[in-house]
Amino acid sequence: MRGPAASFTLLAERRRPEILAYLVRMLGNRDDAEDACQETFLRAHAAFGRLDAGANARAWLYRIATNTALNLARGRARRTSRLVESDPDTLAGAVGTGAEERADLRAVAQAVGALPPRQRAALMLRCFQGLDYADIAASVGGSAEAARANVYQAMRKLRAALGRESA
Amino acid sequence: MKRRDVELIAAVLGDRRPGPELARWLATDEGRRELAAHRRALDAFRELYGPRAVERASASAAVHYTSLAAPIGRVLVAVGDAGLVRVSFRQSEATFVAELERQLGMRAVRSPSETAEVVEQLRAYFAGRRRRFDVPVDLRHVTPFVRRVLTATMQVPAGNLVSYGDIARRIGQPKGSRAVGQALGRNPIPIVIPCHRVIAAGGRIGGYTGGLAIKRRLLRLEGSLAAAS
Repeated sequence: MRGPAASFTLLAERRRPEILAYLVRMLGNRDDAEDACQETFLRAHAAFGRLDAGANARAWLYRIATNTALNLARGRARRTSRLVESDPDTLAGAVGTGAEERADLRAVAQAVGALPPRQRAALMLRCFQGLDYADIAASVGGSAEAARANVYQAMRKLRAALGRESA
Repeated sequence: MKRRDVELIAAVLGDRRPGPELARWLATDEGRRELAAHRRALDAFRELYGPRAVERASASAAVHYTSLAAPIGRVLVAVGDAGLVRVSFRQSEATFVAELERQLGMRAVRSPSETAEVVEQLRAYFAGRRRRFDVPVDLRHVTPFVRRVLTATMQVPAGNLVSYGDIARRIGQPKGSRAVGQALGRNPIPIVIPCHRVIAAGGRIGGYTGGLAIKRRLLRLEGSLAAAS
């Protein structure tokens, strides 16, 4: 295999694990993330020919993944708008040991769930996916400064979730 | 957002080192409190969405469990693909299964065959025919500190007793005996990880999540406690 088809296969193989992990973080469960990941690479495959040779393919994949996740989350929010509580993050439902730690985890999980999707995306990209602010901007849209502001706003909300006197 | 919040978050994330003004504020009570709160929020976030959490959510494998009748009452055990994950008593099967599925993010399936080895060893232990367990335990689902405490506790052989302080010293935190006690209270695999062999200083028996009657009973079985006590 040579040419664009080969390089797309390489890109997909190389990036699939991190994109899937990102989508698990964005959607909160494995099943939705698998669906979104498949859709991400289908869309990417269809658009790959239009990608400039010198473009940042990784940030471009994250952009497609982010759009896919946001669309899916929107659709899900419509379907389950009356059943918000029955749609928990399975990630956030896990673990927790001491009472204090469990309270922190619950509060932060709730705050993450309440973040606007773009802030959630920017925070995940900054904290776990190893993207810098320029690449985060390329993935969620807007400028690098706006990407940084999204991350900081999200951080402020997570801290606020722990309450005033807790330190 | 206030400039100070921006600078504080930049420092917490490692984007920028604190400037002189922020550094001065961070030395005040309020500054210390805010820094600690931001770090705690970030820690909780990492626990919830970090690599371990993604791994948990991605595990499609089931965890297998069963129950056995023992002198201390019914004992429930659960085994995952990497080893024993739970031993529980004084708990209903429904609660056990619900907690297991929630904490591990896997389906729990009753399976006497997948759990046969540990059940056999537990039976032998309660019958006084076995003094140490030889099954892999899976401690990936506890925090690193609890894991260190439990790993040190596993080294205490039957018939021996150590104090919370001894364990604290063994993990290199000589002042951590209270934290050790709390970590042992979170032991997901009691009996096999013998937290009952850890007692308070001065020979007092200390606490036990399963109840002190069970702790005494296990220690009598192992000959560490006179039959009358």
